[in-house]
Parts: sequence; C-alpha cells; structure tokens
Amino acid sequence: MASEVIHTAGAHAEAHEEGHHELPARVDPDVALSELVATTEANGSAVRTWAWILGILSLVGIVSFGVKVGIEWGDQAKWGYTAAIVAFLFSAFGGAPLVAIAPMIAKANWVRPVARFAQLCSLVSIVISIWMIPLILNLPMLIVDGARRRSIWFEGPDVSPHIWAVVALTTLIISSVGLIWAYGMPDFAVMRDHGTGWKQRFGNWAARGWIGSTVQWRTMRMRIGMMGTLYFFTFVFIHFMLSTDFAMSLVPGWRDAIFPMYHAISSIQAGLAVTVIGIWAARKYLGLEKYLHLDQFWSIGRLMFAFTLLWGYFFISAFIVFWYGRSGSDQMWIDFLILGPYFWVFIGAVLLIWFTPWWWLIWNKVRRSYNGTAIGAGLILAGVFLDRVRLYVAAWSVPEERIHERFLTEYPGTVYPDVMDILIMVGAVAASVLLVILATRVLPILSVWDVQQFNLLYRPVDYMKTKVSLIGKPD
Amino acid sequence: MSKSVLGLYDDANQAADAMDALKAAGFPLGTFDVLTGTPYPEGAFGEHVPQHRLFRFPAFGAIIGFTLALFLTTATQIAYPLVTGGKPILSLFAMLVILYEMSMLSAVISTVVGIVIESRLPNVNPGVYDPRITEGLIGVVITTEDDQADTAIAALNGAGAMEIKQA
Amino acid sequence: MQQRRTIDQIHTNRVLLNGQLDTPKWWAPTVITLGIIVAIGFFLIGIMVNKGLGVTGLSRPVYWGLFITTFVFWVGISHAGIMISAILRLSQAEWRRPVTRAAELLTVFSLLTALMFPLMHAGRPWRIIYYIVPYDFARGIMPNVRSPLIWDPVAISTYLTGSTLFLYIALLPDLGNLRDRTTGWQKAFYTILALGWRGNPRQWKLQTVGGILLSALMLPIFVSVHSIVSWDFAVTPAVEGWHSTIFAPYFVIGAVHSGVSAVVTMMALMRWLWKWEDFIRPEHFDALARLLIVVATGWLAFTFLELIFAVYGLDAPEIELRDMQIFQWPWNLLFVVFVFTGYIIPVGMWLQKSVRNNIALMFWSSLFVNIGMWLERFMIIVPGLARKTPFVYTWEAYRPSGLEWFILFWSLAWVTFLMLLFSRFFPLVPLFEQKESQTFGDSIKIGRARVPAIVREAD
Repeated sequence: MASEVIHTAGAHAEAHEEGHHELPARVDPDVALSELVATTEANGSAVRTWAWILGILSLVGIVSFGVKVGIEWGDQAKWGYTAAIVAFLFSAFGGAPLVAIAPMIAKANWVRPVARFAQLCSLVSIVISIWMIPLILNLPMLIVDGARRRSIWFEGPDVSPHIWAVVALTTLIISSVGLIWAYGMPDFAVMRDHGTGWKQRFGNWAARGWIGSTVQWRTMRMRIGMMGTLYFFTFVFIHFMLSTDFAMSLVPGWRDAIFPMYHAISSIQAGLAVTVIGIWAARKYLGLEKYLHLDQFWSIGRLMFAFTLLWGYFFISAFIVFWYGRSGSDQMWIDFLILGPYFWVFIGAVLLIWFTPWWWLIWNKVRRSYNGTAIGAGLILAGVFLDRVRLYVAAWSVPEERIHERFLTEYPGTVYPDVMDILIMVGAVAASVLLVILATRVLPILSVWDVQQFNLLYRPVDYMKTKVSLIGKPD
Repeated sequence: MSKSVLGLYDDANQAADAMDALKAAGFPLGTFDVLTGTPYPEGAFGEHVPQHRLFRFPAFGAIIGFTLALFLTTATQIAYPLVTGGKPILSLFAMLVILYEMSMLSAVISTVVGIVIESRLPNVNPGVYDPRITEGLIGVVITTEDDQADTAIAALNGAGAMEIKQA
Repeated sequence: MQQRRTIDQIHTNRVLLNGQLDTPKWWAPTVITLGIIVAIGFFLIGIMVNKGLGVTGLSRPVYWGLFITTFVFWVGISHAGIMISAILRLSQAEWRRPVTRAAELLTVFSLLTALMFPLMHAGRPWRIIYYIVPYDFARGIMPNVRSPLIWDPVAISTYLTGSTLFLYIALLPDLGNLRDRTTGWQKAFYTILALGWRGNPRQWKLQTVGGILLSALMLPIFVSVHSIVSWDFAVTPAVEGWHSTIFAPYFVIGAVHSGVSAVVTMMALMRWLWKWEDFIRPEHFDALARLLIVVATGWLAFTFLELIFAVYGLDAPEIELRDMQIFQWPWNLLFVVFVFTGYIIPVGMWLQKSVRNNIALMFWSSLFVNIGMWLERFMIIVPGLARKTPFVYTWEAYRPSGLEWFILFWSLAWVTFLMLLFSRFFPLVPLFEQKESQTFGDSIKIGRARVPAIVREAD
C-alpha cells in the first residue's frame, strides 16, 4: 500500500498539521558512521577543560573523604550524607540502563539512539563502590551488644550485610561493564576501523575480532540478553540491600515492606531523568540533532510522567497504612521521617519529585519540546536527591546503642552537612559525570550500529495523500 | 434544496482522487467527507483534518467532580461529627481517596460525553449512506445545492466510482 | 513472528459477527444450563438473606471468609480489562487488538459480580444503603468517609461506570457495522445504539484520541481500585498479617496476574467456541504469555517482600502466624498448592515457546493461575483472623459451608452467563481494530527479507 519514498538526510518531510512534529529524516549510513565516530573527538578542548574541572573536583572529593575517614571514623551519624549521595547516584545513574533494557524487550524502535548513553551511566557503579567503602565499614554488625538486631539477614552470620554489599557491588560492576562491552562490540570495531591513535588501538583490543558475521550478531544478542538480565536483577537486589541495610534497619521500628520498591521506582524515575538530560546535552553540545528527535524525548517524557505518578502512589501506599495504624512504630515513621528533623527536605522532595513534574509533564506541549522535558528531568533529579537526604541522613543519625528499641521514641536532631560532606558529595557527582564523559571518548555516545539499525527499520513514506513512518518490527 | 451524493469506491486511492476532484471542482472543504469501515492514517484521503477540543472535557469534569467530592466529604463529616479511630473529623488523607475517585469518575464521564459530542453524535439524520462501507468500500459523500449535484457526480465518476447514490 | 495475513473486510464481518448473525448451535443449551445454575444461586442467596449468615461457616473470630475472598478475587479479575486495553493501547502493542473488547467485558462483568459479594456478606444487603448513601435517612447519621469500607463502593462504582462507558465508546463502530448487517427489530436496536455512526475521519479520529485519553484516565482508576480494596485490610493494625505497606501494589500486581490469565482462558474459549482461528492466533497467546512471565515474576517479588517484612519486625505473634500459614496443616497444603499453581507450574510452562504457542496448554496453565490466585487471597484474609488476637477470646478454624462453596461456583457461572448473553448481541472481538491492523500493517524490504512493519502517524 505504502510506496517507499525514502528521504535521505536533508530532505524534509512536510508536517501536515500544526502541532505535529516533522517526521525525522533518515540518515545515510556513511554520514552517520563518520559523524558519530567524530563525536569521540568533538569539542576536544572544551571537553578537556571540563574533564580537568571535574577531575579536580573528584580529587577534592576523595581528599575530603580521606580527611573525614581520619577524623570522623566510627561516628555513624557523620556518614549520613555520604550514604545519601551513594543512594542518589545509584538511583539516578544506576536506573538509567533500565531505560535501555526495558523498551528493547518491547521492541521499541525509538530507544535505539538512546541506549548507549543510558548504559554508559552504569559505569557510575565504580564511583559508588569507592564511596561505599566507609559506609560498609561503619555499618553496625548483626549482633549489637550481644543481641541480634532487626535485619533482612535474620539468623545470618554477623557480617552478612557487609559481605552481601561487597558481593552486590562486585556483581554490579561486572554486569555494567559486561553490558556496555557486549553491547558495544560492533562499535569498538567501528573505532578500530575508523578511529585514530590510542582509541583505535583500544577499539582493536575491545572488539575481540568483531567482523559482523551472522554468528557474531546472534551471540551478541544473546550476550546482551544475559547481561541485561544480570544487570536488572543486580539492580533490584541493590535497591533491596541499600534501602534495608543502609537505611531501614538502622532505625528501630521502621518496618516498611514497600520501601525497597519505592526506592527502585524512584530510581527508574531518576534514571529516565538522567537519560533525558544526557541526550539533551548530546544534542546541544555534540550537534546530534539528526539522530535524537522529539520522538525520544516524547517517549521518555511519557514514561517519566508515569513514574512521577507512580512515586505518589508508592508513597501514599505506605503513608496511609502508617497514618491509619497509629501504633508506636507507625507513628514513629511519620514523626521521624516526615514531620521530624527533615520536614522541609521532605516538602522539597515531594514538590520536586512529584508535584511539580506532575503538573509540568502533564502538558503535551512540554513533552513535545526538548527543553521542557529536560527541565522536568532536572526537577526530578533534584527531588530524588532531597528524598535520599531525608531518608539516609535521618537513618544514619540514629545512634547504634538504640538499635534494639522496639521503635524510636526520641528523635535525633537535624544533621547538617559540613564542608567535607559537601565536597564529598560534589566530588562523587563530578566523578560520575567525568566517567561518563570519558567513556564517550572511547565509544560514540550514540551507538553506531543501533543508529544504523534504527535507520534500517524506519522509513518515512508517502501513504496515499499523507506522510507516515513505517517501522519494521523484526523478530 | 440541498442534496447528498455518495460515490462508492473499492480502491482507497480512487477515493482519494475523488476527494481531489471535488476540491478541484471548487467545492469548499467541509462540504464533502470520506466514509470508511476502518480508520486510515490521518490525511490519507487529503481530507480536511478535523480539529477537536476533547482535552478540555476531562479537565472540566475533574474540577466538577473534585468540588462535589470536597463538598460531600466535608459536609457529611460536619453533619455527623463522630470521632472514629482517633482521627480528626476532617481527615484529609481519608477524604483524599474519595476526592480522587470522584474527580476521576467525573473526568471519565465528561470525556465520554466529549467524545460523543465532538464526534458530532448522535446523528439523527445520517443522510445518504451504504451498508457496504462497513464491508470495505470507501464512500465519498458530498452535500451540495441541487444545481451543483451534476458537477459533483461528474467529479465522483471521473475518479472511477463504482456506484453513485443520491438522497 | 507476527504472521501478517490479508483478511478482507467481508470475511472479517462474516466470521467475527457469527455470534450475532449466525448464533452457534451450542449457544442456547449452554446459556440455559448456566441460567439454571444462576437461578439456583440466587435462590440460595435468598435463603441466606432469609436465614442470616448462620448458614455460612463464618463465626468469630473469622468474620471474613469465602465471600470476601471471592470478592477480592473478582475485583482482581476485573483488572484484566484495563491492563490489556489501556496499557497495551498506550504502548501501541499491535497484538492487543483481538483481545481488548473481551478483556474490557470481563472487567465489567467481574466487577458487577464482585460488588454482589459484600452485599450478600452484609446479611441484609439493603442496609448497606444507610452507610454509603450520603443522605440523612434517620437520626442524622452520615457515611463515615474515614472508613475504607466507604472507599470500596466509591472506587468500584467509579471503575465499573468508567469501564462500561469505555466499552460502549469502543463498541460504536461495531454497532454501526451490525446496523448495516441486520434487519427488522435488530436493525432498529443497533441503529439507536450506534447513534448514527458513519465512519468519517472526525469520528475515527475521536475514536482514536478518545481511546487513548480514556485509557490514560482509566489507568489511575485501575490502580486505585485494588489498592483501595487492599486498604480494607492494610489499614487495620489489629489483625496480624494485614498491616503491611506493600499491600496496595501487591494486590494490584496480583490482580493483573490473575486478570490477564483469565483473559488467556477466555481467548482460548473464544477461539474454540466461535472458531476464530484466523483472528485469535498462537502469536497472541505467545505475547500474552511473555507479558505474564514478567507480571508473575514481579508479583512473586512482591510476595517475597511481603513475607520478608512480615517477619522482619521480629514480633512473636506475626512470626507465629507465618509459621501457621506456611508450615501447619492444613494451611501448608494450601500454601504449597498456591505456590505451585500460582507461579511454579504456569511460569515453568510459559518459559517454553512450544507451550506459549499451544492453545490448550495455555488454557490449562491460565486456569492454574487463577486457582493459585484465589488461594492467595484466602491465605491473606483468613489465617490472620483465625488466630487469637487481643480482645478476641476464641480461635477457631474456619470451614466454609456447602452454601458458600456453591455461591463461589455460582459466581463463575454467573460471569460466564453474562458474557455469553452479551456475545449474542455484541461482537467479542472488535472488528474495526481488526480491520485497522490490516490497514496499518505493512512490511519493509531489507535485503531479501520482508520485515513486518507498522504504519505510525506523526504525533
């Protein structure tokens, strides 16, 4: 029925009605190849400057880290902000690869240009692992003062939380590097064939002799599937572990079955937001307008909106149960974690994570604009950060000697960040961003093979008197 | 006297040509329409793309539902101020559930009303029609003055109509 | 994998309207048999209203039993409709098309059935009016909006009204079709219902935009309904095992699990009974089974969290309760059956591609799920009540009476009866969706291969 009129780069499909965005044009394979490979060199000097700035900030973070270890070791309350930033970074960057994995399963074509960036975010697992070390070492043992405390490890060995945290982080690093590598092999081959200097040599090594044979593509798909699944389960487990061992079980009486899920949901929300900001920046600073269309923003924007509402749902699901329960521990949850020392942080979190993005992203107009979606994403990230501060700083501020209480009766006061905390947090964020930027120097920020595949399966065509797109759905 | 003419086509492209022919013959947009048994991509027949205001309906409905629910939950609690479970008489979080449900209910009802109204239904006098349209034929229908009917018929035939019906 | 075949509209009409235009021979005897069962059920309900709840096995402290379990079960099944028709519509999944109508229908009828259970459970159903209608019948008493038992009827009637309207709006094009195919009183009937549908671009556009908008509106309602049902239990701190924050999403995902399975059961029946092999194809079962694997595994994760955090608090009574639920006779048997039928057997089966494409096996596996999910609700509701709690001085095992079992059986017959009745007058597979998939389905040539493709409009 549809005649195949293929628009190459430069030809503009006409938008036939106001409010409908233009059908994106297809990009010639060789143009796509050279332009995407060029992004690994693009803005060399600016990137170098930024890399220096971020590197110095990370270094300052690590130094303050050392200072803090020296003077505040063993004082649990002092490590709340470190816990918060770790939880935030894992929530935001760790959630991003799911943006690549889930739509892939649903065979959504729009996700292809976005997948690489989303996966690269998982490299942050390296930063998280470093920043986690003092937290793991400061975590109370399972047996405190001769009696077992509440934990998800029940009768497990004394150091279960510590060991499992190490195991989980190792798995996270393996699965994130594995996912990026498995997914990136054809692109390493591209770098081997079209890159220069050390990047070419690195590509040559990492491509492991990729020539693009049918067998290689098939095994690659299998590897991605396996790594994606591993990543997903690690992701779920780490949320379970972080939210319980590093928050819930530090507060006596906090028993909240939905909390790990709440943690994971807001993490996916933040992961979507990070992805939006990443591709927004890629469009703006790397000139990738041709490859990143409204389609991507519109699709992620919709998901972001859905997860914003889900945050509200998961929150109220817990809240209403506690509010109705009125038992001592129920009341404690509300008085300590909401109305308590971090009340204003909580209000800020609710406004930024839920209320404002809800009324912002609800508009089609906003989700149909690059900047509008990116602003929504920024709000959400700020909100998730505040939310993690409220939960983790509060949890870490509870002194260890009260861990056996049935529920907390006297609440510790507000803990404010000191200079070291701020530097550690800034350093962690800087190190994370730096890692992702450095990774885009080795692998193109948009996966070349995915963009080619996108173009292969996507055809703007004439359909009788109108223009539509044909999207192939291979097996 | 105005008259309705319906041209039937078994090929969608011919129907699209008929729409073009009518346009070329000078009939104003909105006087002719295409009838199909299945949705086609918007603009496939070169038709006038219909505008609608459907999105206003749910917003309007939700506001009404919310207001009503607010009134109901508040008024009943004040009218019968029995403290249960130690909760305040006006318990916002309990009321929230009712506020939410009634807003949504009202939004859904008004959306459905909106769909019906914006579809220009119910249509008591559907005019000239053919049951075979729901079997795959495409109908191009035009309402015009008596003296223009012949021009319209000629345009419809010119595009290869398999049958012309008039009413 | 999407087998694309060209089916012309005349054939589509003839086959998919066979329930209305050419009623199959099995229809009348089946409906009459079900009708008899339904009548007996109503008679028994009548007896119960007359004699009181003493005819059931309910007794202190187990005051919620089979009826409430079945109520939750049917509310759960009702989540099929919006899950399939809204979520899949919003995510533009092509394979939803033959399933949407039947799923929405299941929503409407199972909700209708669910609503009847609290009514009959109340013993004197008419008295319910005093506590839900905000009108001063006597003594200045008003409904208590702080009670979740008020939220329930509000949420369910919202969902029921919304689903019914949604069903009707999506039925409009097919009503126009039936109007064109019938004569006499039937034509008059469909003409009135079709509201003068003609199928011009405006009407089609509103059908599409309206469908998406209604889906987006129904989705939050869908989530809220089972959450609110779960809060009937969760906001009660007095009963062990109920007061858990996870209940709302746990109930919702369990509902989706059982609802989508019920859709699979129904699709298999539709394919067999009305001979719709051309339209309800193995690939649809395959897609539903893949979806179900994800949903079921998510549900399992919630089940796990619920259990973990029940014992996490290290409260002795709660641990005792879980011990009873899992390890003590007869609950241990129920628990094992629940785990196996709710997850292990069906998901184990669905992991095989051969099973996903085998309609008979899909049928049986989906029945398993609903046995398991019914038991899940029973295991949530009854054990907590059966244990001794403060202020309750008896503990008693609950044994549902024969009458309760029959009424459970009646509800199955009743929903089937309503579905069959509906199928006599309205098509169970949306014809226009079917035709739309033909119009919008295409393929693109890549090298020597033809890849199935779908037409997307610029949005």
